[in-house]
Amino acid sequence: MIRNKHLLCAFRLIVGGLFIYAGVIKIADPLGFARDIQNYRVLPPAACLFIALALPWFEALSGAFLIVGIFKRTSAWLLSFLLAGFIVLVVVTMARGLDVDCGCFGSLSRKADGRLILEDALMLFMALEVALSSPGRRTLS
Amino acid sequence: MIFTKKFFAESGLIAGLSVVLGLAFHVPVIRQFLAEEFARGFISGKTSPGIILITLAEAEDLFAGGQGVFIDARSRKDFSTGHIPAAKNFPFEKAKGKAIGEVAAGIPSGKAVVIYCSGKDCPTGFALAVLLRDQGLEEVRVFTGGWDEWIAAGLPAERENDQE
Repeated sequence: MIRNKHLLCAFRLIVGGLFIYAGVIKIADPLGFARDIQNYRVLPPAACLFIALALPWFEALSGAFLIVGIFKRTSAWLLSFLLAGFIVLVVVTMARGLDVDCGCFGSLSRKADGRLILEDALMLFMALEVALSSPGRRTLS
Repeated sequence: MIFTKKFFAESGLIAGLSVVLGLAFHVPVIRQFLAEEFARGFISGKTSPGIILITLAEAEDLFAGGQGVFIDARSRKDFSTGHIPAAKNFPFEKAKGKAIGEVAAGIPSGKAVVIYCSGKDCPTGFALAVLLRDQGLEEVRVFTGGWDEWIAAGLPAERENDQE
């Protein structure tokens, strides 16, 4: 487990920043994200829309909380669960042979593929390191 | 121990806040959904002007009348195993880059542009339509049934890759 506080701080900035970016870009285009979710062919339309409306805020808020240090460990855990869920979803999608855009960054998204799993896994590692770091630190440093 | 009372309280707060903000921020979208405007997918004329979704029958009419330029957004490999006759292949992944300008420029004016991909759930047809619309094409049609529907209906197909 990494204990270097500067490294952990960098992890928070990277993971938090990416989730804020991913959230905001999808808040701006809820229908595009709803289409991306629907393309995974897992959920009915109403559920797709609900997730398309709420999940981007969840990502952006958790990312922001992770960076500013409010609910830091909870945010890190929540983002870890999300990332683990994304990895499972991409693996299942690949196994089903579906050719879909991941939907991660709105119109800038790319195909749900093996490289995406690696990137998600790297993010998951960083989020988990923050989640498992010693509690009580509430500032950026 | 992760699952403490504090964790659940904070998670609940973040989740609750997300739902409230998400719903409050997009009331018009929810209204459109309740009015069943998204019955053919989450596409809105308000957010996607210039993009028209067409059915198999409409695609067939454009094909039969020679009024349409068909663009196949699937991969080159899929395209070479079978496509709508005279369709041009612009794999979405390649069109995403700078080539999209050339794609738009290569389309003869006066003809209806019809884009399709593998089937009704593939995202690349619509995504390519958005890119072409953004390149200045005024009207782009997306045949939502795609190749699967076309071939299932027994319509003409071309096997060899004779484009380019």
